[in-house]
Amino acid sequence: MRLLSGFVSSLLLSGAAIVSAASSWSFEDATVSVSSKGAEAGLKDKLSPSTVLGKSVSLGATDTLKLLLTTTDGSTAKRPHQAFLTLTDPTTGLEESFVLSVKDSGKAKVNLSHKDLPHQFLTSSKPITASIVIGSFGSSSPYKSKLFDLAVNRDANVPLTIPEAPVRYAAEAEIHHIFRGDPESPPKIITIVFAAAVAGALPILLGVWATLGANTSHLTKALGNAPVSHALFFGSILAMEGIFFLYYTSWNLFQMLPAAAVVGAVAFLSGSRALSEVQERRLAGLR
Amino acid sequence: MRWLLSFTVAFVCTVVVQAKSFTGNRLLVVLEEQAEREKYSVFLEDLTSRGFTTNVESPKADKLSLLRHGERAYDHVLLLPAKSKGLGPALTANNLLEFMKKEGNILVALSSEQATPTAVQALLLELDINIPSDKGALVVDHFNYDSSSASEQHDVLLLPFPAAVRPDVKNYFAGEGYIAVPRAVGQSLGNESPLISPVLRAPSTAYSYNPKDEAEGVEDPFAVGEQLNLVSAMQANNAARFAIVGSAEMLQNKWFAEKATLGEKVITTANREFAQKLSEWTFKETGVLKVGKFLHYQDEGASKKLNTSLAIPENNPTIYRIKTDVHFQVEISEYTNDHLAPFVPSPSDNIQLEFSMLSPFQRLNLSPIAQTANATIFGVAFKTPDQHGIFNFRLNYRRPFLTNVDEKRQVTVRHFAHDEWPRSWQISGAWVWIGGIWVTVLGWVAFVAVWLYSAPSERSVKKTQ
Repeated sequence: MRLLSGFVSSLLLSGAAIVSAASSWSFEDATVSVSSKGAEAGLKDKLSPSTVLGKSVSLGATDTLKLLLTTTDGSTAKRPHQAFLTLTDPTTGLEESFVLSVKDSGKAKVNLSHKDLPHQFLTSSKPITASIVIGSFGSSSPYKSKLFDLAVNRDANVPLTIPEAPVRYAAEAEIHHIFRGDPESPPKIITIVFAAAVAGALPILLGVWATLGANTSHLTKALGNAPVSHALFFGSILAMEGIFFLYYTSWNLFQMLPAAAVVGAVAFLSGSRALSEVQERRLAGLR
Repeated sequence: MRWLLSFTVAFVCTVVVQAKSFTGNRLLVVLEEQAEREKYSVFLEDLTSRGFTTNVESPKADKLSLLRHGERAYDHVLLLPAKSKGLGPALTANNLLEFMKKEGNILVALSSEQATPTAVQALLLELDINIPSDKGALVVDHFNYDSSSASEQHDVLLLPFPAAVRPDVKNYFAGEGYIAVPRAVGQSLGNESPLISPVLRAPSTAYSYNPKDEAEGVEDPFAVGEQLNLVSAMQANNAARFAIVGSAEMLQNKWFAEKATLGEKVITTANREFAQKLSEWTFKETGVLKVGKFLHYQDEGASKKLNTSLAIPENNPTIYRIKTDVHFQVEISEYTNDHLAPFVPSPSDNIQLEFSMLSPFQRLNLSPIAQTANATIFGVAFKTPDQHGIFNFRLNYRRPFLTNVDEKRQVTVRHFAHDEWPRSWQISGAWVWIGGIWVTVLGWVAFVAVWLYSAPSERSVKKTQ
């Protein structure tokens, strides 16, 4: 009975094997090795179709990665139409496939070094996903699975020529004009101190003049001698300052010039009389 | 006179309504054997029902000419595969390019069973679209094939409708269901040109091979995976559109609603919908942008009513001062099938205004501020830069699958005028100098008074004695 059941189960197993032989592509005896230039083959890892290699395979600048496997259709070694090693950048989704050269016996191999890789893979920060694709015509189901992570180690000192990114129509970065800073005034307290010092100079000046004996005692005398000329002359000097003040605050040049001309003429005519009066006083010894 | 004008307007309106395409409805279908017409009858009838007047001609026809008197004789061309390698003197690559220069649109279908005509090969070479050089090369995929019609050869691909090329690009080819791509000629696109874009990419496990040379195993495939395109498109700088379909069989009646098996699933192909979307895009029924009013004005604080009426012309200022607050707004419509609709860009995309003198001083994202019946109004407010000169309001909006918008209006940006600066007493740093002037003025008046009216003092009299 036990014998029979064992026979049945082995029959079932072989039946299952036959079914799978007709239905799916896979591989066996797969090894991946990285050998440095000059040195003998270094690390060698066995790959299995159903599991991902625990550690990532690192590929240096002078290294060559060698992947060897035997493709199988079911349990028999056979040559498929498609046997690719596909590398995928996990962040950008960029893919590149490398064709495995397969013999009729199903023995397949591919060599990979830095010069075969596009520059995006060389500069990728994350390890690149390496998967195997095996497929062929007919009813056998194809195989595709991730096998290992490929960490590309680049010599940072060797410059890499990365071609300029081609033009693509897309929104560009915003530009906000940076305005020049507004002109600044010094702190108000400093301004006020110095303005007060300047304003203070006027009383000091007048005071000094007063101590030196300046006075306006002859005003009545002068007005008595030439009242019209003196009033007009001094008035025109004040008016000229008023014109300048209006020009500063609101007038334009064409309003200011005629007024200044009139006032100037008055100052000239009255001034000659007024100054003659001053001269008379000087000649009389009153100055 | 008035009735004549209104009649003309009404006439123009009816013409616009009749033509479903934005540029015209004259379609030339180039088909070598009239017997083949039956195979594409559903596709051609769909085009006719959308308002195209189709004209089926053999490439060898005597009168056939894409241009007449220097203008295009047709608005669109559909090139179906021919048995012979040449397309005749009317359809050389140069003629097709001339036709595109006149803003004619071309849809080319290839077939792996027939050699690609040399004219088409040369045209594709010009456009930087590469196809396998050997006749018979086709795309296979052992993962996504129709197991009822191609269980052995795996050369009928079943693919979902394509997703957007980039997140910021509108997808004009989206749909539900699966597209059957039988025996396609794959294309690979040059990387340099921004004008070409993929429409339908092959899945990552697909590859192109030649059944004659590579029956045993593929050694050196033309292109692999998603770098292989089954349908690709090109939009020239003048917005002439060109689309290439790798498999003419896709457009045939037998694949328009065919039962197919993908893995275990039985599905119905949606080629008819895809063919419609592709021809709509190629023949400018979708993705055509139109700019309406292009307005800018100085922001004077008060809210301004939008000037969207067509009757009122753009009345833009020609001069601004530096550092002025300026409002900008533009109406953009998108033509979809038979009418202008408000344009809605992809959510991650931005329409940008450049305020530029040689190079942009401001480049600002526009935001939608209002919608009219057939346009979205996009606007932005900004301050003119502190640089005088001749500036442009420039709207340069170029995106894959959308016609180009490049509008600009020139304005002068002037300095502050002499009376626009702050007065000196408003500048605190000037107070010292203003004080100095006042002290001088008062001192001068006092000096004049003293000089004129001073009596000799005691001391000075003593000194002189």
